[in-house]
Amino acid sequence: MSSIAITDQPVLTLQNIESAYGPIKAIRGVSLQVRRGEIATVLGSNGAGKTTILKTISGIIDPRKGSIEFKGVDITARDPAQIVRLGLSHVPEGREVFALLSVHDNLLMGAYTRSDRDGVARDMEAVYGYFPILRERAHQDAGLLSGGQQQMLSISRALMAQPDLILLDEPSLGLSPKLTKEIFEIVVRINRERGTTILLVEQNANMALNASDFGYVLENGRIVMQDTCANLREKEDIKEFYLGLKDDGVRGERRWKKKKTWR
Amino acid sequence: MSKLWDLSHIQPNSAVVLPGDTITAMFWNAVEERGPMVWLRQKHLGIWQSWTWDQTGQAVREIAGGLLSLGFARGETASILANTVVEWVWADLAILSCAGVSNGIYPTDAASQVHYLCEDSRTGILFVEDDEQLDKALEVRAALPGLRKIVVFDMEGLASLDDPDVISLADLRAIGQRYLNQHPDALPGRIGACRPQDLAILVYTSGTTGKPKGAMHRHEGLVYTVRGFNTLIAQDEHDERMCFLPLCHIAERMGGEYFALYTGTRLNFVENPQTVPENVREIAPTVFTAVPRVWEKFYSGVMITLKESSRLQQAAYAWAIGVGSAIADRVLARQSVNGWLRIKFQLAQWLVLNNVRKLIGIHRARFLVTGAAPISPDLVRWYLALGVPMLEVWGMTETCGASTGVPATLMKPGSIGPAAGFNEVRVDPATGELLVRGKNVFVGYLNLPEKTAETIDADGWLHTGDVGVMDADGYFRITDRMKDVIITAGGKNITPSELENDLKFSPYITDAVVIGDKRAYLTVIVMIDQENVEKFAQDQDVAFSNYASLTRAPEVQALIQKELDRVNQKFARVEQIKKFFLLENQLTAEDEELTPTMKLKRKLVEQKYAAQIDAMYR
Repeated sequence: MSSIAITDQPVLTLQNIESAYGPIKAIRGVSLQVRRGEIATVLGSNGAGKTTILKTISGIIDPRKGSIEFKGVDITARDPAQIVRLGLSHVPEGREVFALLSVHDNLLMGAYTRSDRDGVARDMEAVYGYFPILRERAHQDAGLLSGGQQQMLSISRALMAQPDLILLDEPSLGLSPKLTKEIFEIVVRINRERGTTILLVEQNANMALNASDFGYVLENGRIVMQDTCANLREKEDIKEFYLGLKDDGVRGERRWKKKKTWR
Repeated sequence: MSKLWDLSHIQPNSAVVLPGDTITAMFWNAVEERGPMVWLRQKHLGIWQSWTWDQTGQAVREIAGGLLSLGFARGETASILANTVVEWVWADLAILSCAGVSNGIYPTDAASQVHYLCEDSRTGILFVEDDEQLDKALEVRAALPGLRKIVVFDMEGLASLDDPDVISLADLRAIGQRYLNQHPDALPGRIGACRPQDLAILVYTSGTTGKPKGAMHRHEGLVYTVRGFNTLIAQDEHDERMCFLPLCHIAERMGGEYFALYTGTRLNFVENPQTVPENVREIAPTVFTAVPRVWEKFYSGVMITLKESSRLQQAAYAWAIGVGSAIADRVLARQSVNGWLRIKFQLAQWLVLNNVRKLIGIHRARFLVTGAAPISPDLVRWYLALGVPMLEVWGMTETCGASTGVPATLMKPGSIGPAAGFNEVRVDPATGELLVRGKNVFVGYLNLPEKTAETIDADGWLHTGDVGVMDADGYFRITDRMKDVIITAGGKNITPSELENDLKFSPYITDAVVIGDKRAYLTVIVMIDQENVEKFAQDQDVAFSNYASLTRAPEVQALIQKELDRVNQKFARVEQIKKFFLLENQLTAEDEELTPTMKLKRKLVEQKYAAQIDAMYR
């Protein structure tokens, strides 16, 4: 197993990104960096703007303001298809597999941009190695897979494009804790073994902080805190509001919430 | 309305509008006289609820009955730990009706402070707002043997609480009602026993240095002062006030609660400290007292809206505020405003100024009152240009609120006005310190006779600690707090508040502390205005993530430098600020660096950021 070291060089840089749905600003000036080889995570509650960030990066939404640089190339508001060809794959929220195609064909769709047949075959094997269940179901329609299997397929499909960076949108959505854990383990393996940089968006803060190297906390479309995940875990506000570790107070059942200070 | 050249509607009222020589007697007389009129308003689940004087009287009677049933003695202290809510006023008046002493505790205080204040004031019964405040009390009750009962206003989330020392306000009222049915003479007896020279309230000073000190006020002082307020800033039962500053602070306690009790002015409570801007617009107070920080916030809110508006709108604003300023200048210079200017002002109002006033929520305001901290004269002029008179008052806990005030007939921004008719104010010729004498002056600090003796001299003059001067018209101007005067290494006396107030006028700066005592030059610690600086950063494409990174951004540093340069221009070389440092933490009222009224504590900030300060002198 060859572990690829994280370099200080950013593979992805967002500068003051603002995106909106009509009059509603979903993200209000987000700047972040993902360094090559790391797993970075954006934590946030419902509606914080996590998915919007990923959609803006992959070109599905055009930002109102700001710029996005991927591997030194400005990809702001580029066509999503072009961005995929540059080596950036998006695993969308809710999996979005091609339900009427077989598992195998889904994976081939992931490799659509590639012409190196040998490489594709190799990656197909690798993917089956990570998720053996997909090999068993290779010829079934993807729509017949369970939620967890569809998530595996969705991640695998992204891998098939041989990306430098994967945007992973809430892989734990609707999955059992056990399955979530398994999927996160494999995400970490993919990162360590293949050196694929990953930008992960999660509500499951505990999982995300365990798996990732660096974290950002997003609230109301703005980053309120950023640090290494090890440091984040020690912050009072993270403990109370994201990990649910609050002291129960004198009565043993504290209901009121402390004020967030983000320091 | 909104004619700065005709302020004849602001007339002092020296008649006694409500009999009673204690707050208690005044309250029960008010219930008698004004029975079905509405006094208090507060939202519940988003809908405004009203309480008439009769209903308030009923609530106060039941709570007082409850206190009596708990054996609450004459002269005993009960404390209130809550945000500014209707129940605060009820509890306060119930305590006073039992001839007890009422003490307020800031809801932002930590458990350890709650402990100190309850212990120092010998609190027997403690009113708390909700589960959050209750937890503070429970945390320290083992160390408070004198504390007999805790009364909770809002029991949400406490249904399963089973604690013999804790009771809900509703239960207390029910017990009180039963008690009063059995002992019908108990409460009237207590009310009658309340004498003017009895101690009524304790107001703890925020304690920027050392432990907070409990200033003692008697009924006679409070009654004397609220009557005096009506000769300074008169209001009546047609007025609407907003009740939103902490009631434990003298400004809202006197200027809000007791002054409204005396005059019959309606008190509208805000939902919580965060909803103040929305609530102002809803309530549209006719008389509005606030601290400079609130006025600064409104101003910067308008500036933000303006930046987002079209060129045409900006041009219209510039023209309208120009007309308003021209009128303000003439009024301040005591010159008449000619017809042509009046017509232009009419147009300016119609086009712009009415909207600006509505945006803030001061469109019905007859006048604004600012106090409790120094305000930039430029900011006062801006409100005058909008057509709303802003009257600065000066006072402190120890003077029971306002002691001087600017009259509407002759306004002078930058001045705190002449001495109010009800007290004497003079400048100590030796030290330049302002001295106050009158019945409004407090009787002393609780348990601290030597501190009291330091503050009130043998002739009865209160040493305020503020340094000031008096002009030919008898108007005072504060130059600084005595303790705060900076003497640089070069021997130059600097009054930091002048610099600080000018800095705070910037929409990007919330608060500033100038440093330089025994140092070669002046520096400043700056707390930025998050909203406006964020807006600036986004408009200028400055990359930042969290608050700390915002303060570190070179463009933000340059922005603050520019603001500093603007202020420095007005001052001589030795008085100019050479370097600055931005606080990297976004501070809240819970933080030790801020007073409950959100001012930076100079001494604490100087100590806490000693390393960063030293770095500015390297």
